[in-house]
Parts: sequence; C-alpha cells; structure tokens
Amino acid sequence: MSIHRQYELVYIASPDATEEALAELHQQVATVVARFEGTIERTENWGRRRLAYEINRQREGVYVLELLNGPAAMTAELDRRLRVIDGVMRHMVIRVDEVLAKDERSKTRRKANTVARRLRRGLPAEPTEQELSRRKQEMDDADGGNDSFGEGDR
Amino acid sequence: MNDYEKDGGGRGGGRGAAGKGKDDKDKAGRRGGGFFRRRRVCKFCVEKIDYVSYKDVKVLTPFIPERGKIQPRRISGTCAKHQRALQVAIKRARQLALIPYVTD
Repeated sequence: MSIHRQYELVYIASPDATEEALAELHQQVATVVARFEGTIERTENWGRRRLAYEINRQREGVYVLELLNGPAAMTAELDRRLRVIDGVMRHMVIRVDEVLAKDERSKTRRKANTVARRLRRGLPAEPTEQELSRRKQEMDDADGGNDSFGEGDR
Repeated sequence: MNDYEKDGGGRGGGRGAAGKGKDDKDKAGRRGGGFFRRRRVCKFCVEKIDYVSYKDVKVLTPFIPERGKIQPRRISGTCAKHQRALQVAIKRARQLALIPYVTD
C-alpha cells in the first residue's frame, strides 16, 4: 500500500452553482478519493465569499474545503479532474500532515514547559482566575504605553 | 505603515536605477543615526502562532499594505522563521483570491 498523507483541498465553485451542483462536485471528489482508497476527514463550506480579484469575470465564489487522507497519486488525479470541471473556477491541494503535526508538537511542548515551570515555582499547574484577570490588565496597560510612544516618534 | 509609504515614495520618485541604490543607503544611515527606533517584536512569536495558515485572512491582512505587496521584515519586525511561513501563506491565499495580488 502506498503511503497515505493528509491533504487540504480548497476549491472555488462558481457563484451561480446550485445546492445540487455543489453536492455533485463533492460527490465527484469523493469518488476519486474512494478510488484511491482515501478518506474524507472533514468538509467545510465557507459559503459565498467575495473574491479579491475577478476570476472568469466573477466577483464572488463559493469556497469549499475538504480535508483528505490518501496517496500522492490521488492529489494528482484530483488536480487533473478539477482543472477540467467547468463549475470549479480555482482549486488548490496542499499537504498538511507535517505542518499540522509540527504545530501540535510545539503546542504541547509549550504547554508542558509552562506547567513544569509553574510547578517548580510551587504554583498550581493551571493559572488561577485571579492571575488571568491581572495578566490581562497588565497587557492592556503595556499596549497603551507602547502606542503613545510610537505616535510621538512618527 | 508609515515607513512603508516613505520607502515607496522614494522609489517612485522618477529617479534612474543608478540613483536609487545610493538614495536608499543614504536614508538608512540617517535613520540609524538620529531617529528613534521602536522596538519591533514578531507578532507570531508573541501570540505563539506556529503554523501560519493561508485560511486566516484576518491574520495575514496586517502584513499587506495598501499596494498589496508583502510587508518586509525590517518594517513589520517579524522574525525570519515566521516571515518565511507568512510569505508562503500569503502566496497561497493569493492563489485562492482571498488576498489581492495587486491593488492600486
């Protein structure tokens, strides 16, 4: 079996696509994924959004994101298919397993470090309610000070 | 923001390529001498964002001045690691028309 990785697929359907057309598109993606023995982990519909620039004389588009698992050959096939389908104005497939894992790792490490540090200082592992509110207050103060400094300089 | 505009103005001043380099050097020297420099911190390090996603347009927009270009590190203060990640994220977002390539 080929190596399965995690990919993110985003495609922009034309704004006059109906519900059925969108379901049909999703179905087409699903068939390709199934053929390569991949899985669709999650589907997000961002809905109709304004495009930053015109594509095919359209100012809006329907964004759909699919989180996929599958082999690299699957992405090549998806890419080829999506390019041919008229209802799709733009699409992009990117690999995300590595970056997401890395993100996760550093988040947990950071958290573990914080807890360890706090325990060493004899504090409870999680910050208390009181601490949180005080920290927020300090942050706000610091921001205020900085702003006036910067403005004076310009 | 202001820094960026100043830079842009200097370049668009209709001078030749030969004059440009000299002008830039000149300006940097002056700024290093008399001007006060605000301490710049990397926004991503402060907020502990490890993965800069192309999907978070809200995170990306502060790094895109009016013209639509990517703001250089020397102005935004982003660290090298995060500027690389930011660059990729912005370019991806552009492909998906979440962010413009150019605006004028």
